Amino acid sequence: MNHNLRALLLLLLLSGNALAEDVLHLYNWNNYISAETVARFEQQCACRVEQDYYSDNEEMLAKLAAGASGYDIIVPTGNAMESLIRQNALRPLDKSRLPRLKNINPAYLDTAFDPGNKYSVPYAYTLTLIGYNAEKMRELGLPTDTWAVIFEPKYLEKVKGRITVLDSQRELMAAALKYLGYSANDTIEAHWKQARDLIIRAKPYWAAFNASSYIKELTVGNIWLVHGYSNDIFQANLDAKKAGRKFTIAASVPKEGAVLSLDSMVLHKNGPQPGLALQFIDFMLDGKNSAELTNLIGSGNPNLDAMRYIKPEIAQDPAIFPDPQHRAHLEMLRDLDRNQRRILSRIWTEIKLR
Amino acid sequence: MSSRARKLLAPARLTKWAVSGPPFVFLLLFFVLPGVIMVIASFRYPGEFGGLAPLAAADPNTLHGFTLETYRFFFSDLIYTEIFIKSFLVALATTLICLVMAYPLALLIARSPKKRRDLMVLLVILPFASSFLIRVYAWMILLGPQAALSQLANGLLGVLGIAPVHLLFSPFAVLIAMVYVHLPFMVLPLYTNLEKHDPNLLDAAQDCGANAWHRFWRVTFPLSLPGIFSGSTLVFIPVLGMFAIPDILGGTGDMLVGNLIKEQFLVTRDWPFGSTLSIMLTLAVLLFVWIAAKLGTTRGRYA
Amino acid sequence: MRRGFWLWAASLGAYTFLYVPLFIVIIYSFNDSRLNAEWVGFTWHWYDVLLHDNDMLAAMGNSLFIALVSSLAATVLGTMAGIAMHRYKMKALTFMVLTPVAMPEILLGVSLLLFFIQVLNLTLGLVSIILAHITFSIGFVAVIVRARLAGIDESIFEAARDLGASPWETFRYVTFPLILPGVVAGGLMAFTLSIDDFVITFFTAGVGVATLPLRVYSMIKIAVTPEVNAVSTLLMLLTLTMIVLASKFSPDVLRGKT
Repeated sequence: MNHNLRALLLLLLLSGNALAEDVLHLYNWNNYISAETVARFEQQCACRVEQDYYSDNEEMLAKLAAGASGYDIIVPTGNAMESLIRQNALRPLDKSRLPRLKNINPAYLDTAFDPGNKYSVPYAYTLTLIGYNAEKMRELGLPTDTWAVIFEPKYLEKVKGRITVLDSQRELMAAALKYLGYSANDTIEAHWKQARDLIIRAKPYWAAFNASSYIKELTVGNIWLVHGYSNDIFQANLDAKKAGRKFTIAASVPKEGAVLSLDSMVLHKNGPQPGLALQFIDFMLDGKNSAELTNLIGSGNPNLDAMRYIKPEIAQDPAIFPDPQHRAHLEMLRDLDRNQRRILSRIWTEIKLR
Repeated sequence: MSSRARKLLAPARLTKWAVSGPPFVFLLLFFVLPGVIMVIASFRYPGEFGGLAPLAAADPNTLHGFTLETYRFFFSDLIYTEIFIKSFLVALATTLICLVMAYPLALLIARSPKKRRDLMVLLVILPFASSFLIRVYAWMILLGPQAALSQLANGLLGVLGIAPVHLLFSPFAVLIAMVYVHLPFMVLPLYTNLEKHDPNLLDAAQDCGANAWHRFWRVTFPLSLPGIFSGSTLVFIPVLGMFAIPDILGGTGDMLVGNLIKEQFLVTRDWPFGSTLSIMLTLAVLLFVWIAAKLGTTRGRYA
Repeated sequence: MRRGFWLWAASLGAYTFLYVPLFIVIIYSFNDSRLNAEWVGFTWHWYDVLLHDNDMLAAMGNSLFIALVSSLAATVLGTMAGIAMHRYKMKALTFMVLTPVAMPEILLGVSLLLFFIQVLNLTLGLVSIILAHITFSIGFVAVIVRARLAGIDESIFEAARDLGASPWETFRYVTFPLILPGVVAGGLMAFTLSIDDFVITFFTAGVGVATLPLRVYSMIKIAVTPEVNAVSTLLMLLTLTMIVLASKFSPDVLRGKT
């Protein structure tokens, strides 16, 4: 009896404590931080981290435009961050409180999106590239170093119904534009139309536009070739290994170039805990914490200090850490203005209907 | 009016407003007003980052105020008319398949002994007890490449020498789920109508020498037209605005008006154009209701 | 005779079509495999996963709370609307009550989104979802209540009045007990609709407040595991109970959806 009562009291005390705790609100990508990292930060700051997730920049922007608030930290990709900066939605960083900022590779600092990194600290990056079932590709004699394999009927014939592409207006257009030799950020309508025709010609061979379930389809062996994100393809390979499949899932950066999405941590203007948020950013700049994410999901890592904690097979994977020659062909997507968005949406409708 | 009558009327009027007032005000606020706002939004410019551009701006160079721009954009390219026609066709196909599947069932229930009817109706309604998404998800499993159904279909095709087909992520998957989700909407009004038919009519027809087919085609079917029309309305209208089914089960070409509207609000951040599309959808629904009502009355006259 | 056979065969086909998919969902919730393909063996594992999935549990809590509040409010407003429609034959009210039920859901969702943000400047969340759910539930309650009233002999109200009952007394002691089954059934219906709603919630939910259908949707879109089957099975059980209860109170429910 006495024992139970004490336990109850203890519980009350604990829950009372939990209520008094500071809470850091993090609005992040799905599966974009390791649970251990979060737990360690919670212990260190004696606070609680509350997370909400998005699976698409556009979704995050649309939700913020629709009035979502209360987030301390958001992790947008460059173009979305640019839009947030221009909306005046972010809080400038107090860099004196970020001593570990020096860990970041200068190649990822001072981007066109946020000159001088007034608002943002690089978190991780992904590449949009070609993922494939290595055995099948070898068997069919298909090239894996070019977008042609996604867009050219002479290759597509061999993998009809076994390909998925991303269900994202920007990403798919970027791949098509790159293949045509244009910049991924080209906004000339004639070039967009050329890209549209290329996509419409290839579409009959594709199984679906897909946002994320291609990970599973690759693992199972239903789909042999995808236009997808580097970390998703990494995940598919891990899953295939775990399931004891007889094939491996590989990825490669096409020689025409690809999209690099650098995600950065930023402070939302209305976040109630800016101090805690800065503490979190500096915590994530620690090489060990940063490497944890890369080891978990196979994301690219802009943190130089993290390299020594990253598993060698990941650090040496050219689809995650591309060599300088491939890196030169990588592009980050810029934001579109309202007229461009409307035109692109129309082109997308044409792609879907035709 | 005498003063006595007025006194009697006053509390009655008070009661009337006390009863109808609250739901009236609530729906005015949360149904009618949002509709009006949507109409207004369709005449505005999109905000640079989403939402709407301001009505008035200090700097005359920034977009503000009202415009016909979205309507001009809508008619500037046939693609939008095309997507409406496509949605109309999908809704029509769904309605017809539902009708063909629902009719025998409704007829059977209506002609069953009274005791059994309630149970049979309940059996039609029970699938409603599962949420809409689950019913769609069920087809994701059934049509998946490893599912027995797909294996069977492809086995048959293989015997015939036809290359295997992918059932999931295809127009076929979209259509079958549309039918599945809306079938009860067709069965119930049909049954309610068929149940009321006087069996003496059929006996009379039989006495006049009409065979089974004639009895159905000349007596039962024309009498059931009102049921067919109300069932069709209940199936057609929701299908016309559907986005979730193409979203989950559709392949590379399955986009309907609903998907386009959703995209304007959640991806493109173009609220004015999304509003315009919504208004066009409303007009399409009204057009359909009008056609159905017209057909209902002219047919009714001959019946 | 032959005709009867075809009728039976076609109906049996329709019933099979209605039930097989649902049974598949239920069966695979007990399947000891990550994939919804071949049968591997029986397990409770996915229910265990579900019980430890905090996001899912939070969504369940949100859904129940929203359904409770919105169905209570919709029951009160819907009952009033049903009475008003029956007694005063108000055209405008009837239109406002029935149209949200009849039109494509996406239209209500989108217009409410615009309204909440543009006019009320409301942060999307629990409040916006509840308001939206009340809006579409009122119609269902009103239709059931009106059907109940239509089946009552008018003279009973006159008798009450002749005996000197005030309008409130007439309502309290005569009308209300008579329509109570319809009111309860309508309320249960509204609860079920709210728990199940996806489309309108999809547009009116902000970030951070997920309901069960929203969770299920993102799981279907991202990675399907039999956990979805498990939550579906439980949800089916809940709504099934609700509908059976509702139809016990008032058989009109069976027609309320039409």
